[in-house]
Amino acid sequence: MKTSLTVKAARAALGVAGVAILVYGLLGLPTQLGPSQLIGLLTWMAVAILIHDGVIVPLSTVAGAGLTRVGSKLQPPSAAVLRGALLTGALVTLVAGILLKAQSVAQSATVLEASYAVNLLGFWVALALASVAAIIVLERRARRSGTNSP
Amino acid sequence: MEKLDGQKITEALAAKFASPTRSTRLTVVLGRWLGITFTICFFTGLFSHGLQNPPSWMFFPTSPVWIYQLSQGLHVTAGIAAIPLLLAKLWSVYPELLTWPPVKSLVHGLERASIALFIASSLLQLTTGLINTYKWYPWPFPFRETHYWLAWVIWGSLLLHVAVKLPAIAGHWRLPSSGDPDVGGPAAKDPGTSGVEPSSAAGSSGRWSRRGFLTAVAAATGAVVVTTAGQSFSWLAPANLFAPRKMGTGPQGVPVNRTAADAKVTELAKSPTWALMVRSGGSSRSFTLEELRALPQHSHELPIACVEGWSQMAIWRGVRVRDLLASVGAPAGSELRFTSLEPEGAYRTMTMPAEYSRDEKTLVALELNGSVLDLDHGYPARIIAPGRPGVLQTKWLHSMEVR
Repeated sequence: MKTSLTVKAARAALGVAGVAILVYGLLGLPTQLGPSQLIGLLTWMAVAILIHDGVIVPLSTVAGAGLTRVGSKLQPPSAAVLRGALLTGALVTLVAGILLKAQSVAQSATVLEASYAVNLLGFWVALALASVAAIIVLERRARRSGTNSP
Repeated sequence: MEKLDGQKITEALAAKFASPTRSTRLTVVLGRWLGITFTICFFTGLFSHGLQNPPSWMFFPTSPVWIYQLSQGLHVTAGIAAIPLLLAKLWSVYPELLTWPPVKSLVHGLERASIALFIASSLLQLTTGLINTYKWYPWPFPFRETHYWLAWVIWGSLLLHVAVKLPAIAGHWRLPSSGDPDVGGPAAKDPGTSGVEPSSAAGSSGRWSRRGFLTAVAAATGAVVVTTAGQSFSWLAPANLFAPRKMGTGPQGVPVNRTAADAKVTELAKSPTWALMVRSGGSSRSFTLEELRALPQHSHELPIACVEGWSQMAIWRGVRVRDLLASVGAPAGSELRFTSLEPEGAYRTMTMPAEYSRDEKTLVALELNGSVLDLDHGYPARIIAPGRPGVLQTKWLHSMEVR
């Protein structure tokens, strides 16, 4: 009984504080952004949700289904290594890809000086080598223990 | 009839997107990580904002000298870490998008609206925040104001979200010991986020387990952090593959944001008649470069730390601001206003609170890393103070006035 009262009080306090802070931010926006800027902002947000929910998640689901088919031929640990490597590579490529795009349009000569494409290629090579090595080791170990205890 | 069709469609879609990896426990673990990064971003962001637009009660720590280097490095790094975490967190609750009916009651509708706002502002904040550090900003709304107000919207939404989901969060805070009945809250009953834990050791054939997924998300987060945080933290500098700045680059081994050409000051800064005006009330003095060099010189190792997250330690040498104040008979703890030679720009004038003007490490720097300041670093003279954002370390000084 006492715990549920504490939980109720915590929920109420968090909820009230959260709404107050949220509303403060929402009311602050139009004090510094004009109507056309606010419309630009809302459009950006709506498009971001559409792209995320309508493109990114469905694409990752398709990729996941493909990996399930490939992964079912592998031992569970090495299938996990394959998925983890691809997830890591995809996220690094996302960040580096935006960086490459920014580099192609950058106006300041003092920023974005590295050869990011070369770095990205190097990252993928290292990631591929490490994952392939891990998968070979895991598969071998599983096969060996599999012959010992069927 | 129509209702039934909608239900059928969403159920069919939910089945397509179903994954045994999803569970309330997974969402709680990811939410915890994401909540920590958002909270770091919020408070370090408020600190940075307070230093630049100080409210009357603002405090200005000058020690340790790397305080802003650390706080802003954490801000940008936690923001980058939040990108994989946000995507993973949203993936873990994706089937909630497909619940039917979309709105069950007024309260349910408000909750969904608040979540839509939370998600949309988080996606925007992280994307524009990252891209702004690349000096590329192709959007119709201003960065700083939008980033500041949305930070309140996001952190408020986070607290509200925790309040709404508290029973589910508390129920899955720890792993249930085997045999425990499911202790999920309302979220546990939503399709696709069943509170029942799939085996955590190994996933079903070809899929991955919850632990495998969490390990992969941690690896991806670690990868984006390690390959970018070297712009802020020197011990990670060798792994800096994908940050917009690299330590040790630029003239005199220090990066530059705004060059003399950008600021259109080249001619004025190189003028042989340049002198620094120092004013206090009625008295004023002007110091030529030779006169400044003839004053006692002091060296300090201080970081230049940018709001965009990059930073660089360097050795600065020049005249103490408090000595210049004494030369016009003003007390050491005076509030100052500096003006740059820049003809225009948001940071042409800078106000320096007493905490910095009093500090013996605050210099009118004439040299950097052992040689005369490069034109792009603010030749003939610039300000360097401990613990301040780089944009307030005014370059190409023209005057210094007691306010």
